[in-house]
Amino acid sequence: MSFTTPWVLWLLPLAVLPLLLERTHSRNYSWVAMLPSDPLSNLIGLMLKVLAVVALLFIILGIAGPHSPHQHEERIGVGAQIALVLDRSASMDDPFSGGTNEGRVGETKSVAASRLITQFVKQRKNDMFGMITFSNSAMYVLPLTENREAILGAIKATAGNSLFQTNIGSGLTSGAGLFDKVPDSGSRAMILLSDGGGRISADVEQKIRDWLDRMDITLYWIVLRQPGGLSIFDKTYKPPENQALPPEVELYEFFNTLRSPFHAYEAEDPKSLASAIDDINQKEKKPIRYFELIPERDYSQHCYFIAALMIALLLSVKYLEVKTWHSA
Amino acid sequence: MGPNLAKEFTYTIGWRSRGRHPGRHASTQRGMGMEFRGHTTLLSYPDPRRIDLRQTIRDPLEQIYVRIFNQKSATPVFVLCDLSGSMNFGGHQRKIALAASITESVAQSATHAGDPFGFIGFDENVREDWYCRPSLRPHTALELAASLRDYHPAHVGSSGLMEVSRYLPRERSLLFLVSDFHMPLPELEAAVALLLRHHIVPMVLWDTSEYKTLPEFGIASVADCETGAKRTLFLRKDLRKRIVQSFEDRRKAIHALFMRFDMPPFFVEDHFEADALTEYFHQFVTA
Repeated sequence: MSFTTPWVLWLLPLAVLPLLLERTHSRNYSWVAMLPSDPLSNLIGLMLKVLAVVALLFIILGIAGPHSPHQHEERIGVGAQIALVLDRSASMDDPFSGGTNEGRVGETKSVAASRLITQFVKQRKNDMFGMITFSNSAMYVLPLTENREAILGAIKATAGNSLFQTNIGSGLTSGAGLFDKVPDSGSRAMILLSDGGGRISADVEQKIRDWLDRMDITLYWIVLRQPGGLSIFDKTYKPPENQALPPEVELYEFFNTLRSPFHAYEAEDPKSLASAIDDINQKEKKPIRYFELIPERDYSQHCYFIAALMIALLLSVKYLEVKTWHSA
Repeated sequence: MGPNLAKEFTYTIGWRSRGRHPGRHASTQRGMGMEFRGHTTLLSYPDPRRIDLRQTIRDPLEQIYVRIFNQKSATPVFVLCDLSGSMNFGGHQRKIALAASITESVAQSATHAGDPFGFIGFDENVREDWYCRPSLRPHTALELAASLRDYHPAHVGSSGLMEVSRYLPRERSLLFLVSDFHMPLPELEAAVALLLRHHIVPMVLWDTSEYKTLPEFGIASVADCETGAKRTLFLRKDLRKRIVQSFEDRRKAIHALFMRFDMPPFFVEDHFEADALTEYFHQFVTA
């Protein structure tokens, strides 16, 4: 407990004034000793003073502005720290390849991805999520947090219109950067959701490899396949003469050389996307330890409320006060 | 004096006055009275007007005898008035104003009977400024009584009653002790014991608003007129009943205390009835 204006607390001794000062508007009585002692009256007399003291006390406390200090609280969650790295390139606005089978004609890849990831996030109550989207370059959306509403809102926002192209390298480095200042919970995962790949320069590759290794991040790559596109798991695929491997295949091969764990999934339709996410759901179930910032809470309203209550009680007693006592 | 005379009452005293001044009470003083006391010789009581021929003739030694009579004498009458804080209390009339009416009535009655009247006011001490020496002329006392009506006692007690005896004459006097007797009974008893040389008529001034006509219901904060002690009262039927009971017990206790000194108390509530005081003297004081 701390106070916004602690010096006001020096006024606290004023609260005992009602005990020291007598009520001034009392009526004269010839000989108080003649009145038989009455416990109920004495109790009410005491209550009046206590009410006044409490009212003053809480008014002063309220002015001082008590609030709980903001603090870092260590929390233990079951689950993982998951960075979502989502592709927002223009191709994500294309319809899913298997869309027609599902009866969801016209559902774009981004909408389907956001829908399924929303489900995924909702299932995993204890996880911390962070989010990076990328197209031409990475866009920092959310740090790793446990705030469900924030992450769901962020995911919802990705379902909108997409932008430009695919810069996977930037997305991955930013995604890894999310884990940078966060204590390691022991279960870290990065879900890269993209359609197709992108070429990554050699030094970025090195950087990604180092970072993922150092931070011990498991990488899950979900490729949303182009309709009729090439599968990354197709070992037999041989590129035409004089041409480089397609970017996604190249990327897949790079990911396989990572020292940190790596899993790849290919999704052609929402169903296979769902099963891929399900699989990740199964794999990432370790307890995590993290600190959360708890904001300060202001208690002055409570103080004022109690004071108002006391004053209301005093007023009601005032209403009961005898007004028709004839005394000289 | 004038048209607004207070109503008078008649009083008698139960002892022989030793005052020399002629008055209306039985006396031990020889003088021009009607009460035959005996014979003595003219030589020892040289008053030829009172020569008793019959007794003179019957005496073989031929001395001349005179009759001796007791005169009727005056006796001092005092009002001892409590000026403590509690006398400031009262419903439609403050007790101190009631005491002023009593003082006026006693002063006129005493003057009418030819008795000197004196007034002694006391609170924690005897108040010299509220002292009026016994006099056959009541004007000073009446003026004092008039100003008593407007007097507002301070927050003081009534322990000065202990000192009152020093201001009283050695002669047995009639004292009207006007107070509400809101003081501890042992203190009262000790003070009364010092005044036993005199005949005391305790006049107990109570006010119905003290106990009978309290407000029906409500919370009140009351402060003692004398000590200033404060209390909160939650007035309700039960408490009012207990307050009335407490006053009735007090009335009995005061009555019992004064009856031990053989001086029945005279209770005055709200109004002073001079006739009731006359009746009191008829009932309790045998001349």
